Amino acid sequence: MSMGGLRRQFGLTLLLVVVTVVLSMLLATRGHSGLVLAATASIFIVSVSVLRTPGLRERHPVVSRAALTVSVIDASLVATYFFSATTNFDLATGAAMSIVLLGLSFLTGASGQISLGNSAFMGVGAFAMAIWANHHATTPIVISLFIAIVSGALVGLLLGLPATRLRGPYLAGMTLAFAVAFGAILSSFNSWTGGDGGLQLPTAATPPHWVTGLFSSGTSLLTSNTMWLADITILATGVAFFFMANLFASRTGRAMRLIRDNDVAAELVGVSLPRTRVIAFVVSSSYAALGGALWTLINNSVSPSTYSFALSITILSLVVIGGIGTIPGALIGGVIYAYSTSVISWITNQTGLNPQGNFASQLNGIIFGVLLILTMLFAPMGISGAVLHRWRQRRANSQG
Amino acid sequence: MDPFLTSRIVSDVLSGLTNGVIYGLVALSLVLVWRSTGILNFAQGAMPMFATYLGMGLLSYHLSYWPCVAIAIVAGFAIGGLTERVLVRGLYGKPEINPIVVMVGFLIVLEGVAAAIWSTLPRGLPSPFSSIDWQLGGKPIAMSDFTVYEIVTALIVMTAVAMLFRFTKLGLQLRASALAPEVSRLLGVRVGRMLTIGWMLSTAVGTITTILVASNFFTGLTPQVMDGIFAFGFIAAAVGGLDSPVGAIVAGVGIGIILQFVGDYLNSNAIILVALAILIVSLMVRPNGLFSKSTARRV
Repeated sequence: MSMGGLRRQFGLTLLLVVVTVVLSMLLATRGHSGLVLAATASIFIVSVSVLRTPGLRERHPVVSRAALTVSVIDASLVATYFFSATTNFDLATGAAMSIVLLGLSFLTGASGQISLGNSAFMGVGAFAMAIWANHHATTPIVISLFIAIVSGALVGLLLGLPATRLRGPYLAGMTLAFAVAFGAILSSFNSWTGGDGGLQLPTAATPPHWVTGLFSSGTSLLTSNTMWLADITILATGVAFFFMANLFASRTGRAMRLIRDNDVAAELVGVSLPRTRVIAFVVSSSYAALGGALWTLINNSVSPSTYSFALSITILSLVVIGGIGTIPGALIGGVIYAYSTSVISWITNQTGLNPQGNFASQLNGIIFGVLLILTMLFAPMGISGAVLHRWRQRRANSQG
Repeated sequence: MDPFLTSRIVSDVLSGLTNGVIYGLVALSLVLVWRSTGILNFAQGAMPMFATYLGMGLLSYHLSYWPCVAIAIVAGFAIGGLTERVLVRGLYGKPEINPIVVMVGFLIVLEGVAAAIWSTLPRGLPSPFSSIDWQLGGKPIAMSDFTVYEIVTALIVMTAVAMLFRFTKLGLQLRASALAPEVSRLLGVRVGRMLTIGWMLSTAVGTITTILVASNFFTGLTPQVMDGIFAFGFIAAAVGGLDSPVGAIVAGVGIGIILQFVGDYLNSNAIILVALAILIVSLMVRPNGLFSKSTARRV
């Protein structure tokens, strides 16, 4: 692209931003809300404009990914403003789940290993968050999330060390044993983990004053804390996805794909198998821990029964159905998770099943299981893999 | 008269032995599938559970215990064979996570369907043997008619499997097709059929195990009755070596006894933690298992 073209795009972007700012100042009726509107719209325009710069993806992939992340986060934050509390809660739950899915997707898709213990790693993060909050209530959220991630990484390292020498089925079995043992681990530390009842956060996470200040001018536009929780989750999800997209494309990511496809060849060209496998496992467990910590935050409490082996199977199903080893696949899985409960209760209603009956209560597991089997047998790359494949085929055809 | 037989240590060994043969049987059924098809069957607890419901459900139709057991075992053979033909056949030669994922999916489908049909409430099976501990000089020994039934049945199954593999033509064909499928096919062994038979045998062994577990007065039959036992059985199989039937049984019994001591002298939470620790340590020391011959790694 010529300098003139770049200059023209810059000019257009600037013009759009100015128009947006003026318009939002004129249209906004209350206090700072015009400022919020102007800022979010401008950020969106600028990031989309950066994203559309020709040749950016090839020459500066990191910048391109950052622009994509910023635009999606920005649009999602605006959307939470209009959503109901229920929708925001579902959105936050699904977004946190998609972080967990991304971690497992990375482990499986990039290194060919599988973990059935991610429910327990989520639980590690969830309880680390709750335990820390109960001892240091004033810790900023970012720091307690970070503590949860580190706990997940440490436990992942402990279990990952033997994992370096294991092939698929052994690792799957070992992580299964960890998931099954997790309940007993929690009970062994009753005084910390609160036993069967779990833990409550001492205070609900509330938005700081400067945030509420942006919205409050007489009416409470910030309808509930749910919007704030959804916003935090979206930010965390965006950062997690941005980091992972870069990791996928990095030297480590390439080494992992090589190990998956041919570990002997990987060793020949100097990739350290144990080191790379441990990294993959630790990344996956840290992501699971972050997802679990966010769930604690969203629900304001944590219960040991949430993090049972059944959750691990759900995580595995979502990753496989969404598409192993792809970033859109993790997002698709998160969306499916957020809406699965309502879809299943809709099915129950439509078919006239007794909602308290045996069959209705098992419907969730049966549907996920059948989908899991069918996906693996007939479309092993999942939804995103199938779509991507078709799209590439069409492009190849149109190019002749 | 003899405080030795009623002492704490002997009762732990005896109870541990009873649990251990169950873990050993689960491990053996895992090994049977692993050796013939190279798949770790995560539905190894659920498939026999389903067969057990099918067979023992007939108890409500006034059939007595033993005919139901026979029908359950036949159902086990059928479920094993059908699963191999319908679900597993297309997975040979695929990446090793594919069969894992499919069998995990099958596990939750079977448990869900079983709970939908028969509910999650435990169903007691009328055991033909008493679970009341034997008495010796007014003190209980950790043995009863029922535990003898468990141990003897396990021994019969183990011996039968060993005899089948060692002394029959079918056993030879099974071993040959696991070891060298191409050569076996050339020599006229129907390898596909052998794989099906491997799965049938494994599920039948699993069904006998599940009946033993569920006939226990204190357990009963539930859709998830084998979940925890599967974990211990897997640990036994992994410690003993997934390709070693003897290793599976020895490790199963050993782990059963160790865990009984752990549960008795520490607490019940520590059982699964110690089991996990045994698994991790043994995998770090001998990734292929204690009893398997070290084989060159597949390239």
